[in-house]
Amino acid sequence: MSDVSTDFIIDIRHISKVYEMGDEEVHALRDVSLSIGHNEYIAVMGPSGSGKSTLMNMLGCLDTPTAGLYLFNGENVSDMDDDDLADIRNREIGFVFQTFNLLPRASSLQNVELPLVYAGLNKHDRHERAQEALTSVGLGDRVDHRPNELSGGQRQRVAIARALVTKPSIILADEPTGNLDSKTGQDIMELFDALWRGGNTVILVTHEEDVARHARRIIRLRDGLIESDAPNELHASL
Amino acid sequence: MRLSEISESFRIAVDALRINLMRSILTTSGVVVGVVLVVVMGWTIKGLDAVWEQTIGIIGRDMLYIDKWSWSGGKNWRKAEARKDITMRQAFLLADRMESAESVIPLARKWGGSVAYANKTVMCSIQGTTYEYGSTPAGTCMEGRWFTESEDIQTQNVVVIGYGVNKTLFPDGGAVGQSLKIAGIPFRIIGVVEKRGFIFMDFIDNQVFIPLGSFQSAFGFFDRSFSVAIKAGNERLLNIVRDEAVGHMREIRNVPPLDEDDFSVNEMQAFESQVSTIRLVIWIVGIGLTVLAFIVGSIGIMNIMFVSVTERTKEIGVRKAIGARHSSIQMQFLIESALLCMTGALIALPISQLIVGSAHWIAMGPLEQEWMSVVSPFIPVDLLLIAIGVSLIVGLLAGFLPARRAAGLNPVDALRFE
Repeated sequence: MSDVSTDFIIDIRHISKVYEMGDEEVHALRDVSLSIGHNEYIAVMGPSGSGKSTLMNMLGCLDTPTAGLYLFNGENVSDMDDDDLADIRNREIGFVFQTFNLLPRASSLQNVELPLVYAGLNKHDRHERAQEALTSVGLGDRVDHRPNELSGGQRQRVAIARALVTKPSIILADEPTGNLDSKTGQDIMELFDALWRGGNTVILVTHEEDVARHARRIIRLRDGLIESDAPNELHASL
Repeated sequence: MRLSEISESFRIAVDALRINLMRSILTTSGVVVGVVLVVVMGWTIKGLDAVWEQTIGIIGRDMLYIDKWSWSGGKNWRKAEARKDITMRQAFLLADRMESAESVIPLARKWGGSVAYANKTVMCSIQGTTYEYGSTPAGTCMEGRWFTESEDIQTQNVVVIGYGVNKTLFPDGGAVGQSLKIAGIPFRIIGVVEKRGFIFMDFIDNQVFIPLGSFQSAFGFFDRSFSVAIKAGNERLLNIVRDEAVGHMREIRNVPPLDEDDFSVNEMQAFESQVSTIRLVIWIVGIGLTVLAFIVGSIGIMNIMFVSVTERTKEIGVRKAIGARHSSIQMQFLIESALLCMTGALIALPISQLIVGSAHWIAMGPLEQEWMSVVSPFIPVDLLLIAIGVSLIVGLLAGFLPARRAAGLNPVDALRFE
């Protein structure tokens, strides 16, 4: 394998994560290595307890590994402090959650603006970029609506707009269709497909084969280890 | 810290307070009580000072009164009663010997003399004095004039009446030039003394002044204790004048060297210590209650802020996930806590004004306490600012621990929180 390479957005080497649960040590990840390049479309799969969520928290810089090295765009994230991690998340990572996690009392526009608030943008620029992001997910006419005035699919689109608005290096989606009916879920997946085709790097964390089949590369975890990491055969012919 | 975050924090804080409006208002009740106490206490002390200033002006800061009786009265009353009277001779001797004072004025007093005009009679104190008393604060006329030296020497039957007597006998005015009967003798009214009576000495308005000679004709000097009013002319001379007066009086009254004075030196300073005691008591009680209220208030606010942090754990997780730093979250909750306290202050201010305004109105109106007119019916601006400042600080202190807890939350755990 090569040395530090800027070809990869994410370069994880021999990472492990151990949780202390009382007297017991839980090895959520054991010696995982992984690299993800620009404009990849990846699904991370695995049953519950496989370390899938831990890996997602790690990739999303929400948590740091117990051992190993994590390079994000060549920057060592493994031993960053909380505020530096917050900056990395703000700049480089767009999160999409299963439960949308919008602020209930804020309008769509305000929700999408939030990452830009923490990035320190002025009001005018925030409005402009948030409006742009909402338009790109097909909600240009819903800027003043609050989450409770939107359907589940629309809420998830607002959440995706919020993830996109900082133009992050990766979009990290955790079970993005888990709370949606299958038709709406399908629409959302098509939106992710479009984002990927538009040049974004998309990482889906899911246990649903239907969701995973949209990805071009599938990483399967089991017991804290990578069981398989291979191109998605469904798209092999493309 | 970025401006965008500060304004965002304000927006969130205002929102959070509005959503839980009732809870917010109830939480701030401790702060409300605290602020009301601070403001009302401050107003009371300011009022006391204003009344005191007014009162001291009645007597004059540079005035001493040598008297058988002590103004502080009370426990010294028996001792004073046992003293020998200050005779006319002693009073005039003192007046002769005093060198440092501007003027030395003997006063003879008759308590409860009757003064009659037409078919009305009032009981009041009758003072026999000299023309010089007209130049002291106690002899300042609002109508007419004091008696002249020649009227004094010639023992003319002229009278200067006090404000209260004037009000009783001449409710429609026009006293000057009228004739009164004092002890059956007719006196011509030549002046009316301006209102002097305030909270501490209301009786002052209820007296009339006549030349000493006329007083002697009407009541005699036998068995009567004189007072001597001494005008130092300058407040700074007061100590010198007092020492001189005491020395002369001891000599005149043959007080053995080691005995204590057998007379009293009355002056406004005698009240000064009483007034500062009252001030101190108001301060101690007020500060004590205020601190208590603020402690209770801040505990309530801290409690509700912890509740707020717990309720919004998930939101904190989301904010952290999308890039909020430690300081951003901390500030968000500090601002919320400070605003909560400021809300308390805002509620307290109209309440304080209501209390102060009502107290003033009741005293002036139904209770007819005219001295209240020197006290402002409004809460002072400096106290207002102090109250707001104190509640801001209390808010920040009370919010500190909850805000730190919020900021220290692990984003992974916070996001998982339901």
